[in-house]
Amino acid sequence: MTEPLISVRDLTVRFKSDEGLVTAVDGVSFDIAPGEILGLVGESGSGKSVTAKALMQLNGDNAIYDESGSITLNTGEETVDVLSLKRPKDMMVIRGGAVSMIFQEPMASFAPAITIGDQMVEQLQIHSSISKKRAEEISVEMLDRVGISDPSKRLKQYAFEFSGGMRQRAMIAMALSTKPKLLIADEPTTALDVTIQAQVIDLMRDLVSEFGMAILFITHDLGVIAQTADRVAVMYLGNLVETGAVRQVIGEPAHPYTNGLLNALPRLDDLDAPLVAVPGDIPSPLDRPTGCVFNTRCSQVIAGTCEREIPTATQLRDDHVCYCFAVAAGQDGQKAL
Amino acid sequence: MSNGNLITVQDLCVHYPLGRSLFGEPPVVRAIDKVSLDIPRGSFFGLVGESGSGKTTLGRSILKAAPITSGHVAYRDEDVDYDVAALNKSQLKDYRKRAQLIFQDPYAALSPRMTVRDIIAEPLEVMGLTSSRKETDERVREMAAKCRLNLEHLRRFPHAFSGGQRQRISIARALVCRPKFIVADESVAALDVSIQADILNLLKSLQEEMDLTFLFISHDLSVIAHVCDHVAVMYLGRLVESAPTRQLFANPWHPYTQALLSAIPSLDPDDAGDSIKLEGEIPSPLAPPPGCKFHTRCRFAQDRCKTEEPALRELDDEHFTSCHFAEELSGA
Repeated sequence: MTEPLISVRDLTVRFKSDEGLVTAVDGVSFDIAPGEILGLVGESGSGKSVTAKALMQLNGDNAIYDESGSITLNTGEETVDVLSLKRPKDMMVIRGGAVSMIFQEPMASFAPAITIGDQMVEQLQIHSSISKKRAEEISVEMLDRVGISDPSKRLKQYAFEFSGGMRQRAMIAMALSTKPKLLIADEPTTALDVTIQAQVIDLMRDLVSEFGMAILFITHDLGVIAQTADRVAVMYLGNLVETGAVRQVIGEPAHPYTNGLLNALPRLDDLDAPLVAVPGDIPSPLDRPTGCVFNTRCSQVIAGTCEREIPTATQLRDDHVCYCFAVAAGQDGQKAL
Repeated sequence: MSNGNLITVQDLCVHYPLGRSLFGEPPVVRAIDKVSLDIPRGSFFGLVGESGSGKTTLGRSILKAAPITSGHVAYRDEDVDYDVAALNKSQLKDYRKRAQLIFQDPYAALSPRMTVRDIIAEPLEVMGLTSSRKETDERVREMAAKCRLNLEHLRRFPHAFSGGQRQRISIARALVCRPKFIVADESVAALDVSIQADILNLLKSLQEEMDLTFLFISHDLSVIAHVCDHVAVMYLGRLVESAPTRQLFANPWHPYTQALLSAIPSLDPDDAGDSIKLEGEIPSPLAPPPGCKFHTRCRFAQDRCKTEEPALRELDDEHFTSCHFAEELSGA
């Protein structure tokens, strides 16, 4: 097995707030191999964005990373301990160098008063020592590659002159122009219409095979994950509850939460299937349940265990892992038979 | 649908002039152009389209919350028969009791400085539907219970609630005056999937319980497929297809509907091959293309599509489409 590109171990992120410490991410571990697309799914408040931002140290000043956690980036040339980076100069490798990020709302990510071209050229020049002319050439090439017509004219335009789909394409072009090893895509298609979403998903799939980079794809949409990711990690209230190959997690979900999500999803292949909501609401991160974080909404809760102890990993098939007492009990039962 | 149509829309146009021009006509945004549709009493009528297709404007103009440039909107229930464009003041007041709106964003729709009880009671007080505070409280409590809010919730302020609970408060507020017609504009779009199912189920059960007619606006075809009995598809201010839900999903005629359906990401990772990819984006409503509005992105477009605008035709029972070549394309 090849060395993972990025290796996250026991990542815990808390935020200082007026109401005390808020745990946003709690003991999350995962690897991303070079060229792999890992989908990170979860509902609002599950900590998926905080996890992604931790990879680039983009969480605010009030974020506290636990000492025990680590993020190791292996670019092939060097190994970087991401959480120990302190100086902005050292952080360049994770901020646009080997790691790039695209955001949900492309209008908010571009400066409104600077042309798209100037923004693309600026970041290229920060990350390499090329001339302005060469940087412009690369930018035109990248815009052309993501399917923006008449790229040299577009380079001189501002973000407001682009449509939503085009802005997201330009964002992708900008993020990829420094040839990162890992692209973090935080809900890149959520603000787009379905027909445009399909175009962007296609584009990202093409770019992965062309550039060979890895993607951490964050979304709340399981359909988008099924169509893009190789592996998927499901998060709930700051914890990882299930990880594995996309086919296994969506085809044979183990965790009650993953099951609940899939049952709540309206499916086009079965219009008669009733929509089953996951009962209750996501608890506030200020008021995290003890034990398994999902126990307040779980249908398979084991009284006396789930609300007291934190579930450990249960290995299912291959690298399909689930954190659940009920699943673990089922596994043991099968072994006993 | 023996009891007829609650809403009848005929050749409705909503045009917004942009500023004033010194010479000639100012440019006009044709948000809705010549749309006709019937919403049968007791139906859950879905309206789907991408952003900029005019679905929200259509919903609002039916409620007389957007200006009607030309055309007719008729509202007809057991007691009244209104021409919505020509309502006088007292009729409009009465119409507001009969037709209500549920908004998309439950965080923006509720005043942060009012208790939940006051939020739900406000329509009753404004419309003068109750004569005493006691009666108001009774109505509020009854409605809150229907929306699965408990009594303790009524004393709190909206900030104490999650997205799903807030949407239940919005629904209670819209329904407390016992309307007959509800426009639900992207009412589940801001919610997480696990909560979304709960709100959809609630809307369906309230519909039966209170004998409501819904116009359910959404960009999400899979949500529409599950809750609506009839679907209308809009593109750039026009209706391109309208049919009973099953029929539309089994046999979409318009190339745009086909593309929309195939653009929904499937949960099966192996099912990606045959999807129809649309090129480009929805054109600006300021400069809509001539002829069929969809021809710039349509893979079947021919010369006729570029010049002649197709009319909405009924090709099958209750199944309308506006494509010159619908018969040939569906292989019929």
